[in-house]
Amino acid sequence: MSEGEAPQSVGEISNPLLASECALGHDPFDDVASYDPLKERLDQLESARGLAADERSRARRPSTSKRTAAPALATRATAQPRAADASVDVVREIGNGFARASSAAQPGARRATPRPVKPAREPDNLARLSRRRWSTTPRLAEIELPPPKGWIDRLLDPEQRRIMAAFAHLVEGESLYDRFGYSPEVMKSTFLIFHTLYRLYFRVRSEGHERIPVEGPAVLAGNHGGLLPFDAAMTIIDVALHTDPPRLVRAIVDRWAGSLPWVNVFYARSGQVIGTRENFAKLLQEGQLVLVFPEGIEGIRKTIAHRYRLRDFRVGFIEHALRERAPIVPVAFIGSDDQSPILFDIKPLARKLGLPVAPITPTFPWLGPLGLLPYPVSYRIVYGEPLHYHERFGPEGADDTRLVRYLANQVRRAVQLLIDRNRK
Amino acid sequence: MTRVLVTHADEPIGRRVVKNLYHDPGVEALFLLGSGPLPRKFDAYLAGRDPRVSYTRLDLAKHRPVHDLFHSAAFRAAEIDTVVYVPRHGASTAVAEPLVAGLSERTAESRLLLQHCLETPPIRSLVALSSAFVYRLPPGNANHLSEESELNLDPTAMPEIRAWIDCDMIFHGEIHNDRLRVVLLRVPTVVAAGGYVYFHPSLSGRPGSRVRALGFDPICALVTDKDVARAVRAAIHTPVSGIFNIAGGEAVPLSMLARWTGHRSVAVPGPLLGVIDATERMLGIGSHLGARGGAHLRYGFTLNTERAAAELGFRSQYRIGLARAGDGALRLETASI
Repeated sequence: MSEGEAPQSVGEISNPLLASECALGHDPFDDVASYDPLKERLDQLESARGLAADERSRARRPSTSKRTAAPALATRATAQPRAADASVDVVREIGNGFARASSAAQPGARRATPRPVKPAREPDNLARLSRRRWSTTPRLAEIELPPPKGWIDRLLDPEQRRIMAAFAHLVEGESLYDRFGYSPEVMKSTFLIFHTLYRLYFRVRSEGHERIPVEGPAVLAGNHGGLLPFDAAMTIIDVALHTDPPRLVRAIVDRWAGSLPWVNVFYARSGQVIGTRENFAKLLQEGQLVLVFPEGIEGIRKTIAHRYRLRDFRVGFIEHALRERAPIVPVAFIGSDDQSPILFDIKPLARKLGLPVAPITPTFPWLGPLGLLPYPVSYRIVYGEPLHYHERFGPEGADDTRLVRYLANQVRRAVQLLIDRNRK
Repeated sequence: MTRVLVTHADEPIGRRVVKNLYHDPGVEALFLLGSGPLPRKFDAYLAGRDPRVSYTRLDLAKHRPVHDLFHSAAFRAAEIDTVVYVPRHGASTAVAEPLVAGLSERTAESRLLLQHCLETPPIRSLVALSSAFVYRLPPGNANHLSEESELNLDPTAMPEIRAWIDCDMIFHGEIHNDRLRVVLLRVPTVVAAGGYVYFHPSLSGRPGSRVRALGFDPICALVTDKDVARAVRAAIHTPVSGIFNIAGGEAVPLSMLARWTGHRSVAVPGPLLGVIDATERMLGIGSHLGARGGAHLRYGFTLNTERAAAELGFRSQYRIGLARAGDGALRLETASI
């Protein structure tokens, strides 16, 4: 197989040549080759859906029962890969076809028979406000800028000020903070600093922004690297600059960071959220864009010999994505593992000090805290095709632990392949 | 039509609840209990030949007076069917938590009240106010908590929070009682117009300086006293039982809340908080600076109120913010949405 050609099936990925190219330690599917819970679950769900659809259609409109049968099968059959981008194709195939083709490309994939619309009772104003499904930001063109106030406003260019004004809409009414402590005012100064780093220090290049859902809940799942989480910071800036209406990325932060003085306040005010189940679920319920690093702390512990080789993914994000019906967008961060290459990780010392990692890098601890600062590497961020697992498995799939583990491995492979394709 | 008993009716939140229920056409009579003299605000309620309100002065933490009340002719004649337990809002942090027979006053009150509610057949509903500070807070500036979140069963927690947890668990034990409908409302920091703060372990009490851990400024969920009274009213009239989080739309950092309510928030390095607390206790002056609270309250929370909205039909209706008063000073005000 040539280098630019996408693998055609899961079986081909276990090919030793490709495995070495993917730089995976081992193929996660090798462990489950004999038993495929995905297929079993698919069969169960499809048979259940087929029955349910039949019953529904018989109850509603007996004359049209043939048209509504087996919608899931029809959707799967029509999800054909596009030939435009090789890396996107790879991700879609890794997702076993769960990456949904765009509605423009596949109009026939939509539901064939529209459901009858129930006349809704007109809710009062308060009820309507509280039933609003998603926190939304306005389009940039809709925002009228007031005259600049303060030196931060003067340093931001009009488009950036529009983005900040759009983000202010995430805080309800005239409140100063949202329920997770996010403050639009603090975000302004943070944006100014990190945008400078984005342009001049990390010189970020990115692609695939059109695959980020324009609205509604979504999970960005990527690789983690570097001692300080500049990969998350660069993603926040990148997504803000390349989406309209602008979307604020809410990165899920390890609990350990929540116990650090000042750091916990800074994270909260700039929109980051501690990774508890309630927080994660609430963010998705509000329709926010959530960034997770499913490797967790293990991601930043990687030594230079293991950089860009993904560790095992945790599964919580899959459960939440299924429950809240959120697509998962695989993201590759190239450059983060090079920003502070770890030569050794002294784990006993880290345990003793209660730290996640006790690294030895070319500059740390020799230069003191300054040695933790990242090197001026060039960042590249690539967004993959969204994986719509929730459409196939539904919220009930979150209760199947084997399925959830399997899907986490799928996402891991998708991210790994994105990295390998784009690192060259 | 219900006939309601309200405890600690002479305290600020109790007064607010009484006012709300007095104007509720679904409430036939109010039987008020308080530990102090009759509030002058109640004069209007007690006027007339056949007032709907009666007031009794009583120490709820003592067994004999409570027993006598529940077996008195006046109480039987009142035919109370609903009891609203409004706890004492917490004295100034300068005063140590009073103890009754080894229990905190609040715990003793809860036990006695629940016991008598269970033993008095006409009483069919018990609505109790509890604090949302009972939840265990994971590290983080703001944690979103639901009714299923874990309680803070850490034995080293603040005594005031432990007392709240004891009360909460006492009522929680009877949630599934067939005869008595128990509704437990967990409220965060309650604020009232003018900058008064209730149910906050550190900021309750008189304005003054309060210390907090340096580098931590937890988010505090807020609710107005008016919304609390509305939630109590909703709980009285809705035939459901269980635990409900009640909160308003605002959540602000502790330092801002302190500023809004006339306190001065002083950030002190964490290890010093313990030293300040120990010194205050050694000198026997209580906890003027709230050092104990400052040491424990590093992490903040907001509350998921979806269950209250779905089952009680409660949605917060009052906003909290600063408004310029007649003297030109900025004061905390609550306004209807």
